[in-house]
Amino acid sequence: MKNIFLLVFFSATIFSSCKKEVLKQNVYDNVYYEVTPVTLYTSNAEKNKQKSSLQYISILFSDLFNQNIPGSDLNNIGEAILSIGDKGLANQMILERLLTLPGISIPTQTQMNADLNTFITSAYQRFYLRNPTEYEKIYLKNLIQNDSNITPEIVYAAFALSNEYMFY
Amino acid sequence: MKRRSFIKKAGIATAGTFFAPYILPSGRLFAAAGDRVVNHVVLVLFAGGVRHQESVEQAYLSYQGANAGNVMQNMFTGAAPGSNLLYTPWNPIQSSSLASQGTFFKELEYAQGPTGHYNGHTAAITGNYTDVGTNLAINPDFPTVFEYYRRHNDPAKSAINAWWMSEGLGPYPALNYSKHGMYGPMYGANYFRPYSTFGQIGLDYLNNGLTLQPDDVGRMNTIKNFFDSNFDKSASDLPGIINNSTDRETIHAFMKDVLNRTQNGTVEFPLPNGVPTYEMTGDLINIQYAWEVLKNFHPELTVINTFNLDTCHSDFTGYIKLMHKADYGVGWLWDKIQSDPVLHDDTIMICMPDHGRNDLPNNVYDANGLRAFDHTSDANSRRVFALVVGPAAKVNQNLVLGSAGNPVGQTIDIVPTIAHILGFKDQIPAGMLPGQVLTQAFV
Repeated sequence: MKNIFLLVFFSATIFSSCKKEVLKQNVYDNVYYEVTPVTLYTSNAEKNKQKSSLQYISILFSDLFNQNIPGSDLNNIGEAILSIGDKGLANQMILERLLTLPGISIPTQTQMNADLNTFITSAYQRFYLRNPTEYEKIYLKNLIQNDSNITPEIVYAAFALSNEYMFY
Repeated sequence: MKRRSFIKKAGIATAGTFFAPYILPSGRLFAAAGDRVVNHVVLVLFAGGVRHQESVEQAYLSYQGANAGNVMQNMFTGAAPGSNLLYTPWNPIQSSSLASQGTFFKELEYAQGPTGHYNGHTAAITGNYTDVGTNLAINPDFPTVFEYYRRHNDPAKSAINAWWMSEGLGPYPALNYSKHGMYGPMYGANYFRPYSTFGQIGLDYLNNGLTLQPDDVGRMNTIKNFFDSNFDKSASDLPGIINNSTDRETIHAFMKDVLNRTQNGTVEFPLPNGVPTYEMTGDLINIQYAWEVLKNFHPELTVINTFNLDTCHSDFTGYIKLMHKADYGVGWLWDKIQSDPVLHDDTIMICMPDHGRNDLPNNVYDANGLRAFDHTSDANSRRVFALVVGPAAKVNQNLVLGSAGNPVGQTIDIVPTIAHILGFKDQIPAGMLPGQVLTQAFV
């Protein structure tokens, strides 16, 4: 019995010591973000990690177009960002460009004004992955109602350039 | 009445206490950190590894069994090759060489560290040699000249006054600020890689974006500020520098304008008359857009590089061609600077390679059967030159210093020299810069 125990022990030691160690490394900049239903945050306090530039662009594209960003576009946009020292400015200019591309999923101003509650809740879910608080909903609703020049593009741009959108 | 009078007088006295020390006899509001030589510096890193023989020594094909000649007639004085031309000659844009329009440090030393491009660039931009391996896309350990300038210049200058523009990407975008604890991105320079920013990628992904009128920007910012007020973190960890809002808007407008003009083909090309635009190189594109930055912002400190000459690892013929073109680009840039009412007579341009190339060739022959050269830290690859070009009242003209085996100055001297020109040298903490000011260049 003792010999069997020793045999098992040494076999386990030998085989485990010869086992190749595989290190898994996640390269988050290359992650593609699936456009699938996701769990909403219960509050923005849960967000504490800042997105990298490529994460930001990848997620932004998904949020605006409801589809994954093609790999070539991601590479090219990544290069554009790398070529500009002020990353905030780079993000802003890329956002401005994306907002003009065909295929963007954005409500018209008429649709927005027809049902502000739905527009605001939907935008919060789309960009922040959470529901707006009652205060946020009322404040933003009043802001839009009191200024007829606020367009969905302006609201979307504000979401996309806000601090909260930079975090996950 | 007495009380009102007292408050009025006290207010005036307090204001006087605040402002009097800063109003100088010259009428300036603030004293500069030190006397300036001029108010603008352009450093051209004539990089990619430039062999002393084909540049300063004007050897052309001498080491390949043929004739000598000067392929850089904008920068150096000397006759062009008379035969065996590997390139289509472009008439120099400078009527007299840049060497004659300033001080020519004919033999400058890259004394320590591997003769790699990242190391050479880092030594020139930080004023400290580094042994860090090449091609690491990391910010340097020592502060860059941009950070010294922005931190120690008085009054402090925003990042729109400091620019770094590189021909390529790789590790070079990271050279606009260091990871030094006392400095860092808050003192960094603005950065472009024009080939991407204003090339096809820029046209595809940065141009023709949604144009928000100023009122719309205000609306967007109102909403954004509301969002930000409900979130307790800020995106301060974005890699890179952050311009203030005014400068950001200015640069934003500049980029849109330059992208539009690029699309319309109305950006000036650094080419001789009649030469088609397909003759443009990466180096010339960088110089082309550096001029756009210079003429729009009149920055006090601009650093650009060339890099195409690195083709010499395998293509000596291409190296000569590109050297000839890059030389034209540098001459063109100086010509433009002299045409600008702000920069004219108030700019010093310094031109220096990142490092040299080996004395002996490698085993590669190009299509013309010419030997190629690497740069593997031999003594020859540590030989470089520097041109300090500027107004005659400020920079010694037609002065040549150093000779083979007798170098005058090192590549790490460029940062203290720039600090001297812009008047903040004495404000840099002791021990940060091991190099010396190239004082011989100045009147």
